[in-house]
Amino acid sequence: MNNIISNILRFLVLLIVQIVICQHVCLFGYMTPALFLLALFLLPLELPLALQYLIGFATGFVVDAFAHTLGVATFSCTLMMFLRPFIIRFLNGTNFNRFENVERPLPGVKDFRWIFLYTLILTSIYQVVSVLLGTMTFKNFGHTMLVMIGNTALTVFVILCVEYIFYNKDKNVS
Amino acid sequence: MNNLIEFFKKAFHIIVLAVLLILSIVMLGKSLSFNEYRLSRAVQSIVGPIQKSGAGMVHRFRLGPENEALVEQNIQLMRERENMFIEKVDTVMTAMSQPDSTNHKQVRLYDYTFAHVIFKTVDRAFNYMIVDKGSRDGIVRDMAVLSPEGVAGVITDVSPNFSTVRPILHPESRISAVVTPANQNGTVIWEGTDPRVAYLEAIPQHSEINIGDSVFTNGFSNIFPKGLFIGTVKSVQVGNNASFLTIKVNLATHYADVYTVYLVENLFKPEIDTLKAHFKDE
Repeated sequence: MNNIISNILRFLVLLIVQIVICQHVCLFGYMTPALFLLALFLLPLELPLALQYLIGFATGFVVDAFAHTLGVATFSCTLMMFLRPFIIRFLNGTNFNRFENVERPLPGVKDFRWIFLYTLILTSIYQVVSVLLGTMTFKNFGHTMLVMIGNTALTVFVILCVEYIFYNKDKNVS
Repeated sequence: MNNLIEFFKKAFHIIVLAVLLILSIVMLGKSLSFNEYRLSRAVQSIVGPIQKSGAGMVHRFRLGPENEALVEQNIQLMRERENMFIEKVDTVMTAMSQPDSTNHKQVRLYDYTFAHVIFKTVDRAFNYMIVDKGSRDGIVRDMAVLSPEGVAGVITDVSPNFSTVRPILHPESRISAVVTPANQNGTVIWEGTDPRVAYLEAIPQHSEINIGDSVFTNGFSNIFPKGLFIGTVKSVQVGNNASFLTIKVNLATHYADVYTVYLVENLFKPEIDTLKAHFKDE
């Protein structure tokens, strides 16, 4: 129960921060952090898969609604939620069971390398898909690549900062 | 049949995934095509009001830079006003500076800049203000200080980075003024403690002054350009000295709220001062 509330709270806070602040950030003219991804990253893995996809869909839809890009974040989030278990399996090696040994990608539970790779891979999936869907063209692909890389770098940096500031070993919430 | 149910149980999440992905692709397609905007309009009707209030909040934080831009724009506009130039032959300046000019040649007499008040007093007998520009920014003594509402004071002292302003709210402050529509010249002085009210002196008793008449600078002092608003007449009384009226003036400048001020420099002031000095010597 406590777990559910803290998850919902985290979603709310991160979505509000994303909509109010992060969406209006445009570092160097193209870098926009997607902080709300952290809420999806920390979603418990033992949830039914279909529910995870639905949550991803809904989160993406809310972000889209405020960014006037209907469909872009929605698609990317759903796809990312689908790929998430595979990434974790890949990072953990073979000994992975979704229902036992539930992993939390948090400092204190996992080492920095694991968390960094997990965040980096999932973020780049999201950013590549969403930037491609957002531009809908391969013209001027150099700039598109720049946007993808810039967004990914900034997002990873911001998410890691938030994780290490708010989820340290001492208070391992959720 | 059992097999089918088993299959659905196993593949349920895949079906959900496929449905959701197709849904989002459909949304994407609809939002891209200009004809099918019903969906985005429905979303917009929910999101719009929230975003509008948020934008208002953000706008408040951006008011500072916007104000600066508007101040710059104001200065550009004020520099082009008619009272910034001299073009009449019968003024001293045209004859002096442009001996061979025609009647219509415009010579810039005044120039504007702006500053921010960083300290001020309004409730003392000798009030003063300090602004954040000084000699390094081209501020010199005796520049006129204007608030957005009207005349504010005169620069009296200049350090490299800051300057002191003597506002109207100072016993030594004197500003040549003209009251319209009677068109009588007088002097605005301040005595007392009310930062909203000053006195207009030396208006002959025969002149017809009504409450609400406007008081402007008349440009005699070579500090203030002609036609700047000082305030409106608050009350008219026959004074002790029978030949003049006692006129109270509501000052236009709200000294309590002054933050941005405009500074006016008379570009020919040294020249005029030299002339005045000669006059005194003789």
